[in-house]
Amino acid sequence: MPRYRFAVDIQFKDNVRDPRGETIERVLREEKRLPIHNLRLGKSIHLEVEASNVEKAFHIVRRACEDLLVNPIVEEYEVRKL
Amino acid sequence: MKACVIVYPGSNCDRDTYHALEYVGMKVDYVGLNDELEPYDLIVLPGGFSYGDYLRPGAVAAREKIAGEILKAVEKGKLILGICNGFQILIEMNLLPGALLQNSSGRFVCKWVHLSVSDAVTPFTMHYTRDEVIRLPVAHGFGRYVKVGDKVRVVFKYLEDVNGSDERIAGIASENGRILGMMPHPERACESILGGTDGLRLFQSIVEFLRRESH
Amino acid sequence: MRYLKILKEKLGRDPTFVELQAFSVMWSEHCGYSHTRGYIDRLPKQGHGGNAGVVDLDGTHGIVFKIESHNHPSAIEPYNGAATGVGGIIRDVLAMGARPTAILDSLHMAEVVDGIIRGIADYGNSIGVPTVGGELRISGFYAHNPLVNVMAAGVANHDKIVPSRATRPGQVIVVFGGGTGRDGIHGASFASEDLTGDKATKLSIQVGDPFAEKMLIEAFLKMVDEGLVEGAQDLGAGGVLSATSELVARGDLGAVVHLERVPLREPDMEPWEILISESQERMAVVTSPDNARRVIEIANDHLLRAAVIAEVTEKPVYRVLHGEDVIMEVPVKLLVEAPEEPIFQYQPGSFPNFRKMEYADVDAHQVFEQYDYMVGTDTVLPPGLGPAVMRVKGGCGYSILTHSRADLAAQDPYWGTFVAFLESVRKTLAVGAEPLAITNCINYGDPDTDPEGLAAMMKALKDACEFSGIAVASGNASLYNTYMGKGIPPTLVIGMIGRVDPERVNKPRPSKVFVVGWPDFVLEREKDLWKVLKKVVHDGGFVISAMNLINSTHREALRRMGLMLKVEQLPSVSPVHQMFIVFTDSLELNVPFREIGSLLRVG
Repeated sequence: MPRYRFAVDIQFKDNVRDPRGETIERVLREEKRLPIHNLRLGKSIHLEVEASNVEKAFHIVRRACEDLLVNPIVEEYEVRKL
Repeated sequence: MKACVIVYPGSNCDRDTYHALEYVGMKVDYVGLNDELEPYDLIVLPGGFSYGDYLRPGAVAAREKIAGEILKAVEKGKLILGICNGFQILIEMNLLPGALLQNSSGRFVCKWVHLSVSDAVTPFTMHYTRDEVIRLPVAHGFGRYVKVGDKVRVVFKYLEDVNGSDERIAGIASENGRILGMMPHPERACESILGGTDGLRLFQSIVEFLRRESH
Repeated sequence: MRYLKILKEKLGRDPTFVELQAFSVMWSEHCGYSHTRGYIDRLPKQGHGGNAGVVDLDGTHGIVFKIESHNHPSAIEPYNGAATGVGGIIRDVLAMGARPTAILDSLHMAEVVDGIIRGIADYGNSIGVPTVGGELRISGFYAHNPLVNVMAAGVANHDKIVPSRATRPGQVIVVFGGGTGRDGIHGASFASEDLTGDKATKLSIQVGDPFAEKMLIEAFLKMVDEGLVEGAQDLGAGGVLSATSELVARGDLGAVVHLERVPLREPDMEPWEILISESQERMAVVTSPDNARRVIEIANDHLLRAAVIAEVTEKPVYRVLHGEDVIMEVPVKLLVEAPEEPIFQYQPGSFPNFRKMEYADVDAHQVFEQYDYMVGTDTVLPPGLGPAVMRVKGGCGYSILTHSRADLAAQDPYWGTFVAFLESVRKTLAVGAEPLAITNCINYGDPDTDPEGLAAMMKALKDACEFSGIAVASGNASLYNTYMGKGIPPTLVIGMIGRVDPERVNKPRPSKVFVVGWPDFVLEREKDLWKVLKKVVHDGGFVISAMNLINSTHREALRRMGLMLKVEQLPSVSPVHQMFIVFTDSLELNVPFREIGSLLRVG
């Protein structure tokens, strides 16, 4: 069976505060003088899926997200094919 | 009257919690992920780093086989106490509302903190008085409590900002009060030689509650 | 390779490629102790010789302890370097059959390196062993060569102590833990080099896996509990090669090693890479062929990989196979007996007039607060006031500290080291403990260009041990802490263990504050000072014995106990003095003392 590579980008929902992101943004803007705004610190998970076709592979990745990888109460996610 | 401490791979306060429960005179067993919880009146999810906390604290542990046993125990109205990582697991299981995220400092914090007891009528807090100030240790990297929705039964609040929690929430209970999750470690505050005994009353409350209920 | 000529002579031929790889690890300074062995041999010793030292605590329990450096890895990759340093020393204590119960660090750096602190914190916190204290020395000397020394201690019943050797032919060696990859290949030889240039960055970095370590601790202790472990050693520098060859060498035995059986994380590894890989979180267990199955089962139950990888043989030959191929075959002794460098006699001068070269006075709580110092519920004295005091549930207790005086040793390596030892004794007495033994970490620059400083330091250690009547139970050496050829000051870190009744440890409470003793140093007075210390503590006084009497870390530690120190002015003291602070209501002594303020309850 073919293997497909994906990235899952996980980000806090907009209404959840991200103090670490805020701190990094402040450093970039105030110390490095870069015009940076709305920095949010998330995580990215790369993985490979064995599936008969790409649609099935996408489906499996979404299941992994909903079963374990993502906490839907505070996080949202996007799946990208690599 | 029997208690158990669930040992998840990576639990590291299991032995401390066992020691504290024994100290207040309870019969205690360690239970593994394939054991049954039927024989126990009190189920404790101890602190630690289950599965290394590698994805989100408590996330993997919350999906173990024993989760089904915990749900059964909840239905039967048994007492369930989650301390630190145990609290994170209860949250990941959706048995308590909200989320526990990384401390706003981005750092682990270990120290004694002052707490106020917001709710002194749960089975766990009967031996405290409402608004009493107590001292317990905290030791966590992911203790920032984020409220989701309005209905939260708050049991403990920090007196100072420890980790960026909403409303300085340190511990919450289920609506019926029979599930308690808390970031501070009562099991570390049971002997004066260790610097404080305010945690002892939490375990004594449980003992008294169970004794009364069995009559 | 440094000793190529000697190797050729001993083998009577040119070494093969694999032998070159193997001997450059085993004969590296890190594994072979070529420059320090001669000195170490002359130290007074007690409970020495295994993976870690063992000293009796109360007739039933032994305390197992050791300090180790992870300087070079932490210089390159602070987070993982420091984290894996914790992992390594924990396994050394564990391999003796003891559950690790305390970690201390000794950090020398130009500024607080966040990565190092987080590395120690994340690893120690996760495995559930409390990091109960240590020393934080901030000085420009360590800008390019930070020192990360980590000490660990554990307690075991004497009858459960595991030997660090194979004991009879026919035993087998099981390696269990995480999978083996290419990480840290030649780490040992790298840790024996100057840190200039790109060779430092080429090393494949070891990444710590604290979850695997935690599982390894529980799995190993279960194996010990079930009586399956006949000998054990941690896989550290030199990996499979070093662990298996040392285990059999200590028993005057040999081994046949089957590399194809080692569980791999990277499938395409060369046999020699498997042999010397320094992948973390692995242990070697000597057991019988009958018990090996159960050992493997326990490892697997703890989500770890395991395999029987070697047989112990009577003939003292180390034979390495990969399938049918013989990869290497050499006498065991040749591997483990690295060539020795000459040692130097050192004649100490009179006690010098030390200049003040203070470390920055930083509040170490910014570090301690990131360490879980309470897990295990045995920490009787929290960090920040001196040694940690740990109880052992069901009876006894111990004090534990790390201490060094490189500020003095930079001026006079002999007396600087000697004073560090005396001060360690004072600190131990200050918490009411009786000094039992030490472990030591030799941190040094280049012993080839500057052999005298090393000789001075080692002579001081020997003399101070004899002066105090305290022996060495274990130790470690880290040489070549240099950058562009320039070395760090001779930095001997002492880890001292004391015996104490945890129920009778004085704690600070509201009282008067006194200074006791002399603002300067006279060696002949030292033992009188120790007697005074014992008396003051026995009478209920809480004592702080520190080089600058009271620093901001002490003040903060007291504040966290709800106490505030109110002192008009501290007496001025020499860089080496014989004075300490006592918190008590009244004193009656035949040495100088004076009331300087009070300790008040706040809030």
